[in-house]
Amino acid sequence: MNIRIVIGMAVFMAAIAATLVAPNTYYLFLLGMIGVTTLVSVSLNILAGLSGQISIGHAGFFAIGAYTGSLLMLRAQWHFGLAIGMAAVVTAGTGIALAAPALRVSGPYLAMVTIAFGIIVERILIEWVGLTGGFTGLSSIPKPSLLGIQADLRGTVLLVIVLAFLAVLAFASLKNHPWGRAFQAVRDDEIASASVGLNSLYVRVIAFGVSAALTGVAGVFFASVINFVSPDSFTFQRSILFLLAVILGGMNIAEGAFLGAIFLVILPEFLHDFVDYQLIVFGALLLLTLWLAPSGVVSLFQRWLDRPNAVYPLPSPPELPALIAQHQTPTPLEVNSVSIHFGGIRAVDQVSLTAEPGTVAAVIGPNGAGKTTLLNLISGFYRSQSGSIHLGQADLAQLNSRQIAALGISRTFQATRLFNSLSVLDNLRVASAGARLGSVVAALLGWGRSRRPERSLLEVLSFVGYHGDVHQSAAALSFGDRRLVEMARALVTSPQVLLLDEPAAGLSKEDKLALAKLIRRIASSGLKVILIEHDMELVMGISDTVLVMDSGTAICSGSPSQVQQDPKVLEAYLGTETPTSNQIRNRALAQSPLLVVQDLVAGYGNLQVLKGLSLEVNEGELVAVVGANGAGKSTLLKSLTNLLTPWSGQVQFLGRSLSKVPAHTMPHTGIVLVPEGRQVFRELNVIDNLRLGAFHRRDHEIAPDIERMLNRFPRLRERQEQPAGLLSGGEQQMLAIARGLMARPQLLLLDEPSLGLAPQLVTGLYATLADLRDEGMTILLVDQMAGLALAIADRAYLLETGQIVRSGAAGDLQNDPAIAEVYLGG
Amino acid sequence: MWPQLVLSGIAIGSMYGLVALGFHITYAVSNTMNFFQGVSVMLGAVLCYVFNITLGWPAAIAVTLTLILSIGFGLVVERFAVRPFAQNGSNSWLLTTIALGIIVENLVMVTFGKEVRAYPSPLAETPIRIWGFGLFPIELLIPIAGLAIALAIRLVWTQTLLGKAMQAVCENHDTARTMGIPVEQTIALSYAVSTVLAGISGMLIAPVANVSATMGTLLGLKAFAAAIIGGLGNPWGVVVAGIVYGIVESLAAGLFGGSYREILGFAVVIIVLALRPNGLFGRAQVKKV
Repeated sequence: MNIRIVIGMAVFMAAIAATLVAPNTYYLFLLGMIGVTTLVSVSLNILAGLSGQISIGHAGFFAIGAYTGSLLMLRAQWHFGLAIGMAAVVTAGTGIALAAPALRVSGPYLAMVTIAFGIIVERILIEWVGLTGGFTGLSSIPKPSLLGIQADLRGTVLLVIVLAFLAVLAFASLKNHPWGRAFQAVRDDEIASASVGLNSLYVRVIAFGVSAALTGVAGVFFASVINFVSPDSFTFQRSILFLLAVILGGMNIAEGAFLGAIFLVILPEFLHDFVDYQLIVFGALLLLTLWLAPSGVVSLFQRWLDRPNAVYPLPSPPELPALIAQHQTPTPLEVNSVSIHFGGIRAVDQVSLTAEPGTVAAVIGPNGAGKTTLLNLISGFYRSQSGSIHLGQADLAQLNSRQIAALGISRTFQATRLFNSLSVLDNLRVASAGARLGSVVAALLGWGRSRRPERSLLEVLSFVGYHGDVHQSAAALSFGDRRLVEMARALVTSPQVLLLDEPAAGLSKEDKLALAKLIRRIASSGLKVILIEHDMELVMGISDTVLVMDSGTAICSGSPSQVQQDPKVLEAYLGTETPTSNQIRNRALAQSPLLVVQDLVAGYGNLQVLKGLSLEVNEGELVAVVGANGAGKSTLLKSLTNLLTPWSGQVQFLGRSLSKVPAHTMPHTGIVLVPEGRQVFRELNVIDNLRLGAFHRRDHEIAPDIERMLNRFPRLRERQEQPAGLLSGGEQQMLAIARGLMARPQLLLLDEPSLGLAPQLVTGLYATLADLRDEGMTILLVDQMAGLALAIADRAYLLETGQIVRSGAAGDLQNDPAIAEVYLGG
Repeated sequence: MWPQLVLSGIAIGSMYGLVALGFHITYAVSNTMNFFQGVSVMLGAVLCYVFNITLGWPAAIAVTLTLILSIGFGLVVERFAVRPFAQNGSNSWLLTTIALGIIVENLVMVTFGKEVRAYPSPLAETPIRIWGFGLFPIELLIPIAGLAIALAIRLVWTQTLLGKAMQAVCENHDTARTMGIPVEQTIALSYAVSTVLAGISGMLIAPVANVSATMGTLLGLKAFAAAIIGGLGNPWGVVVAGIVYGIVESLAAGLFGGSYREILGFAVVIIVLALRPNGLFGRAQVKKV
């Protein structure tokens, strides 16, 4: 037997025994209050813990329950049981009604709604004297009776304690029920929930209703135990104390509610002589808990209490899991000239695509081409402004993401979106249940919860190649495993169409090979796979058709070999090589190193992006780092400026280590980054943007420097008073560079300056960069457009999956076939 | 009678507006909020009372000292109750700032006492008559001072390098950093501004609203309500919402009775949010997939 259940039973028995032998009403009150507070804590834990909606107004539900029950019994002589039922119905209704505004908001807005609710209820209790008795309240509230037997205080307390124990059990079983998992999934990631067919609004409303109803029931028992209700018991402070009980015990932990309730009820008794200090102690407790044990006191013991035995997927993966083999229909997915515009930018413009059953249709294109947006159109996260998307009879363009998921269209996300607080297995269970959650009452009674790992889910996990413990929490997975589990999650819905958004990003060579095989096997089962990917070797190796996008439009489509030979494709990736006269480099440089990078390793979370990278930039040089999307170019620049703390390695600037230099003092040190996507301060005008570029400077040359920038970029002078957000993309890029120059850097780092710009603008921009080079500015330029970057650079490095694979004089690299290979696959 | 209600509504409402401006500033700069502000209002009033009345120090010294201490409160709250959580992406700052408020409020209750004390002020002794209505000079001073401060903040925000740097931090922390703007210090500064605004409102309303340890909590909540109604991201929106909130609740209290003040005011909050989830003047945030 589980140690958790043993301890739980022992505590329960102790509480029952204590109630039976309690010498006077004082102890009975205490025990009763512990029971009632446990009930409230459990219900608040369902809302705040499981579904992630913090309520600072639960005293309001508590009050409505207490007054409804009391009034029905006192004024209308209702039976206790009926009164309880009615109290539950009324509070559930109030909860659902309150959820309506609360649902559309989150964070501070949600807190406000609940605070406002709590205060309104308290004031109504005071004001509506005729009904509530005002400050005097109601007294002589009946005790429960059953089959004609009237309970005394002791009997009532016994009943409360039994109910509190059952509530804790109900919470524990709810966590293992589709409903409980749905609460947590919506809390963890609303978008991923929608992608598996969950209606997050509905799920949240139910959480509100259940929590309110249970709190209402607790309210009736509260009234019955202390025999008296008045507005004093239902203040704003009371709501905060309820929250304290949950946080203290532990959000999301069943027993936490009980432990928190003990603190909340017993502590004031110890502070009996120091009534004024009670709230100080509670406040301090709340602070200390959040500082020291943010997951609650019980969580400190969690490692001993709650550890299901490790379960691993099947040792030999099945040829084709049953879940994937189901429901394959022979109809293709047809996307007909879909479009979407975001404020004048044509993110996707009249793009068509057909995915036949049993095939892999790849979508490729440079950064910002609109590939993910196309995927979002298909999966219903965005709505197409033209055209249609047909799967059989259904037109997906008219449906929302949930309905589309229900039709059998399943997806993964570029930045994996797992339900991080759930286990690997529960991530799959959420998806396989989808919108089929069953009755929430049954969930609370413990019916329909799953215990053993379902064989069909284990099959899928081993099929995708996941070998770890299925009870492992998703947050703790390695990066590669996250990708696999996400794909498994997409597959357990038995999809007809699988949309994969850069599944290979961040994977090792071996993992990519395994992934390629896996995708082929999935497709061969009759599924339609649409693949967005930057790894060209993978794309060219497994795709049946390839669609190439650039700036929102389809520029070419066909078989992999057709696409590879199309000159338009190479041009889209490498940029047009039409250097103007000043762009040709023709100079000899001294070799004094300004920036030296050695074995730099960096990444995000558990994703390693840079894998031991070394490079040098000499004074006066323009050095280019080129490479396909996802190679780690932006990560390199971010870790050079400490916006991203490197994991290991050395960065030296003018012989001095940069490891201890905070990001915001980099301009002082002499390094300025012009970030990817320009990142001008949109609300500020052009002049202010320039002025902020010189933020660290204290000299008197700032105004003349602004003048120089306006001379260098006459377009900026024309628009100097306009907010930068209104400038065109090209103008914003000029402004970003000018803003960087305002810092008078010794080294200028440029991140993808050509991103999202029209070709003629790019040519002009590069002419500017060549000018800067000729003026002696040292520049480290990172760009996907290798052709252009190599045309103006002195030296260059070719980056592939976080490592330098080629380096040398830019002219030599320009003619190196390795470049095209890295971009378009061998 | 109702013009008088409106005028006193404007007076208290401009205080809501000032405190709401504090909510706006920290939210804009760091996406976090200072729920210690209600208590800061109380501290402003109580400290000024202690320095000025209990200890008998000159008003100028009392006010200066109170303002300096208010800056300190903001810095302490940011450093210990907000930063440790916000940096990890946790939103527990909501609860820690409330918890800190509860602690301080009760400490004041223990030391300063529970009783409500009148703050004797020459500005609240003899009413002046305007259009036949009696008004204390302070009731005129409060909205004027409130609007002047809001205007001053606006000027700093839009006309000085510091203000522009703060705007830059609002837009993008990382880019601000690459421009050499110390983001952490800017956030701390925004907290100091929020508690100073609260402290000023506390001192301003002390002569009309009396001084007590519990005077701040509800005022802070109402200011928060105003900030939410106005739309947290819009500085003028929150100030206007504060004033309107003050007028509405003053009318509600005058026409229906004291307790309706909160019932009506907070009901409006819920209704506004049900209809416009980002407040009346707020902008919707684009959800990225």
